Amino acid sequence: MISPVKVWRRQKEIRKILGKKGKILVWTKIFTPGADFKKYAPYPVILVELENKEKIYGQLVDYEEKDLKIGKDVISILRKVRSSTDEGVIAYGVKFKPL
Amino acid sequence: MNNIIGYYTTQFGELWEKSLFDLVEEAIFGVLKQTNLENKQIDAVFFGNMLAGVLENNLHSTSKIAEILKINIPIFRAEAACASGGAAFNLAKTYLEANSNKNVLVVGAEKMTDYSPEEAITGLSAAASGEEQEAGLTFPGLYGMIANYYLEKYHYTEKNLSYVSVKNHFHGSLNEKAHFRKKITIKDVLQSPYVAYPLKVLDSSPISDGAAAVILTNNYDMIKKQKHSAIVLASEVITDTISLKERKNLDEILATKMAADVAFKKAKINRRDIGIAEVHDCFSIAEILAMEDLGFWKKGTGGQKIMEESTMFGGGGNLVVNTSGGLKAAGHPVGATGIKQIGEIFLQLTKQAEKRQVKNAKYGLAHNVGGSGGTAVVTILGV
Repeated sequence: MISPVKVWRRQKEIRKILGKKGKILVWTKIFTPGADFKKYAPYPVILVELENKEKIYGQLVDYEEKDLKIGKDVISILRKVRSSTDEGVIAYGVKFKPL
Repeated sequence: MNNIIGYYTTQFGELWEKSLFDLVEEAIFGVLKQTNLENKQIDAVFFGNMLAGVLENNLHSTSKIAEILKINIPIFRAEAACASGGAAFNLAKTYLEANSNKNVLVVGAEKMTDYSPEEAITGLSAAASGEEQEAGLTFPGLYGMIANYYLEKYHYTEKNLSYVSVKNHFHGSLNEKAHFRKKITIKDVLQSPYVAYPLKVLDSSPISDGAAAVILTNNYDMIKKQKHSAIVLASEVITDTISLKERKNLDEILATKMAADVAFKKAKINRRDIGIAEVHDCFSIAEILAMEDLGFWKKGTGGQKIMEESTMFGGGGNLVVNTSGGLKAAGHPVGATGIKQIGEIFLQLTKQAEKRQVKNAKYGLAHNVGGSGGTAVVTILGV
């Protein structure tokens, strides 16, 4: 159960990591997701090392299959990250798109 | 000296007729019967379970076990994701080290198939970091990342991984308690649909129901009375970061390496002394990493070594791995898995493994992992 307060608390941190460039360290593509992510499947998830060496996970969007490779340059963007909670709070978070 | 004197496992599989505590009860009374012990001879119980609180809103299981056993003794629950069973066993061993002449029951159980795959996957994801959950990373996804990294770094393909599943399904065909008893081929694995690239359905352990129990004792008179016993030479737990991204190397489970090093040191034996092992093959890549990180194979060679089939029953090697069928074919009722692994080693060392009995094994190892490597438990038994 994701509390709307938890969504609010997490989202306060998101702006610090938006618009950051980095490279794909490793990737996978999820075909059998959990309940909150069913409508997005199949979707790629990447682990990115930002230019400041910080590591962040996120889904890759607006991509072509050729973008799914280690070392690919990406940039972090704001996107809805899971289906809405029962309270109607929309959970926004970080995803990535290829550069 | 702590000895295992009995083991019982329920059938593993989709057991729709049975509840979590039906399975716990069967395992408890099954192992009591095997050892000719009465409930009042048990001094403490350790219970391995991960998901009852998440999926069933069912906690305080220790009190429920007291109700089943009709006794008033210390009972504890251990939770370490998929290593819950191994952690419960470790705590039981530690309890015996602090208390002499005691008999301790260790039971692990999980009830997973009452729920849809999405619900079970969401429940299992509770063992990943918040950031991993937020990115939609499932456990197949985390191991998919590890597999993708390993295959690219060491220039292997999905075919290398598939040999793990073929071997373990062959072993499962010899174990009447296994979830899957059907042999499969390399082609079957490679043609199965993806779960999380590059891992496919037949690279993955199933969602299963089941329970397993062992009795541990340090009562010398009790050991002498029993027909079968194996000595616990070592049981070591090591933890690491919950997030995969915080680890230095993506192609190793550091907690496994560290737990194995300590366990072998305490057991005072070498890797080559181990004749039988149950390693944590939640996904095909996990068995390859386990064999490397436990020190049986050199890092990066696992993709090639698994194709030699030396760890298959009847394969002629000195170390046979996952004769129970592993998590892949025997099934993976999360809390029961760590106990089943130790139980399988007990059966092998005491020559009770029937059709899959390995000859002349004097030492065996069980390796249980929680999450993507946040917990590892390595247990070494001897006779």
